[in-house]
Amino acid sequence: MTSTAAFLRSSLLMLGLGILLLVGIVGYSLWLVQANREYSDETASLRLVRASIVGILTTVQDAETGERGYLLSRDASYLEPYSEAIDELPARWKALQDNLGSRPDYAITLDELKPAIDGKMAELSKSIELTRQGKYDEALALLSTDAGLRLMDRIREILNASLERTDNQLLGLVSKQLSAADSLQWVTIGGAIAILLVVGGAILVIFQHVRDLSRAREEVMALNIGLEERVNERTEDLIRANQEIQRFAYIVTHDLRAPLVNIMGFLSELDTSIKAVSAYVMADERTPGEDEIREARLAVSEDLPEAMGFIRSSTKKMDALINAILKISRDGRRKLQPERIDLKALIEANTSTVRHQLAETGGEANITAGYITSIISDRFSLEQIFGNLFDNAVKYKMPGRPLKLDIDIRPDGPRRIRIDVRDNGRGIGQQDVERVFELFRRAGEQDQQGEGIGLAHVRSLIRNLGGDVTVESDLGKGSTFILSLPTDLTKVFRSMDQ
Amino acid sequence: MKASGQEVIIVMIEDDEGHARLIEKNIRRAGVHNEIVPFTLGGKALDYVLGENRDGLVNRDRYLLVLLDLNLPDMSGIDILQQIKGNEHSHAIPVVVLTTTDDEREIQKCYDLGANVYITKPVDYEGFATAIRNLGLFFSVIQVP
Repeated sequence: MTSTAAFLRSSLLMLGLGILLLVGIVGYSLWLVQANREYSDETASLRLVRASIVGILTTVQDAETGERGYLLSRDASYLEPYSEAIDELPARWKALQDNLGSRPDYAITLDELKPAIDGKMAELSKSIELTRQGKYDEALALLSTDAGLRLMDRIREILNASLERTDNQLLGLVSKQLSAADSLQWVTIGGAIAILLVVGGAILVIFQHVRDLSRAREEVMALNIGLEERVNERTEDLIRANQEIQRFAYIVTHDLRAPLVNIMGFLSELDTSIKAVSAYVMADERTPGEDEIREARLAVSEDLPEAMGFIRSSTKKMDALINAILKISRDGRRKLQPERIDLKALIEANTSTVRHQLAETGGEANITAGYITSIISDRFSLEQIFGNLFDNAVKYKMPGRPLKLDIDIRPDGPRRIRIDVRDNGRGIGQQDVERVFELFRRAGEQDQQGEGIGLAHVRSLIRNLGGDVTVESDLGKGSTFILSLPTDLTKVFRSMDQ
Repeated sequence: MKASGQEVIIVMIEDDEGHARLIEKNIRRAGVHNEIVPFTLGGKALDYVLGENRDGLVNRDRYLLVLLDLNLPDMSGIDILQQIKGNEHSHAIPVVVLTTTDDEREIQKCYDLGANVYITKPVDYEGFATAIRNLGLFFSVIQVP
């Protein structure tokens, strides 16, 4: 679930980032294109400005050229450039006005230019008029006043300044256009890289997600395959547990009933004895007979104490049984505390409690361990289990034979560990190998004190840890208790919760 | 209770001394005065019934009747029954299973193995006494070989 949410979050973030980048790039590109277009328009319009400036200068110069030619040659054909210039001038002026009028920086130029051109044109037309009338001297005198030259210089000066300004503006525009083109190029390259990064990131995220998905699917498939097996295993465990509970209930009710039979029985015997006694005591005036006296004495001296003794011992027995059942139930309910335990060290510590008993008879305990001896389990339960097993080994050793204990720890399939506890004691008969694990049941010669609880306790403890215990035995030669434990108790809990 | 002119010995295999005492008292009250040999352990009882080497040959010149409790500390009463009924020299010995267990399957198993009578020890003492007294009647009519 969390991986899906994380995937969604990261891919949405990627997508959002990518879209934002693209929008930014597109917006910036559009803005650049727009700016470029404005620069182009401005360039075009400036070129018109330049052309109209050049045009008016040319026209004025043409007019002057025509006048000078006519003045020198007095041939009317030389007057042609002048006439053309006079014809063109209004159009040229209008073009100049159109192109420069919208530009406030040229307004002064127009204002200054107008009187200069008008003055020049007036001077030209006056000298031509004088020439046409044959007044050459007057015309030359007009020329030599230098007024025309000054006007022409003034016109040139104004127009050249405008040209220069226009050219500078054009140059500025060109460099702006170039830098805009550069920017566009870099933005495009940056955009391409960003797109590649976003797409690459998205592909990476998708790839990871797909890989996670396929891994999860494989896991589900593996689980499915194992499920049937696990269901069967659990069913078997349940059946076994159920049978054990029935057997346990059977044993407990039987064993609890036995003392009850005694108590009820001897209470009735008490009744019988009291009848005999009361026949004597309640005889009143009548002298009790020989038989009555004998029976009463027998009742008081033997039957009554015997009955009371049995009632007392049966009650004690019941109490002991109930306590034993309580102990097993309490240990079964105790909350397990899984911790990392070095099995070898734990077993060594437990054998040391029976070491002096081993030493008394010249016995010994050997522990062999494989590579892995560290497990996660409940220390208290394990101590109880090995404590009981070693106590039993000492208790049921073969008389006259030094007790030899061999403990072997080795892995047993995946996530399980097997411990063999082998002794050379008296062994257990083939018919009793299951019976020894039953509550209140014992096997073989009854020369040792015991209530038949130890191994039942061991089995209930180890099954609580997700393990099991069985025994292989050769009567008269020895027994091997085979313990199987999960290496990690917490995993057993987890699989039970599922 | 005699067989072929010999007294029949009653072998009582019962680990609970109280039960043993109650059974004995009630047998006596029923008027049966045969010798009763008590055992609290199955192994010792089998030593007596089948002989130390468990071949059953000791039964050639004596007549036994076995009262058997199923729940013994050292071995299962079923095993004892199986061994007595499985031996050619002892399989004719009448075995009365006398136990607190009233599990149907257990009863059937005992009869299958050749038990002659199965009696449940009731907690109610009247029932218990009556059962033993009826057993006394059974003893007096049973044809012990």
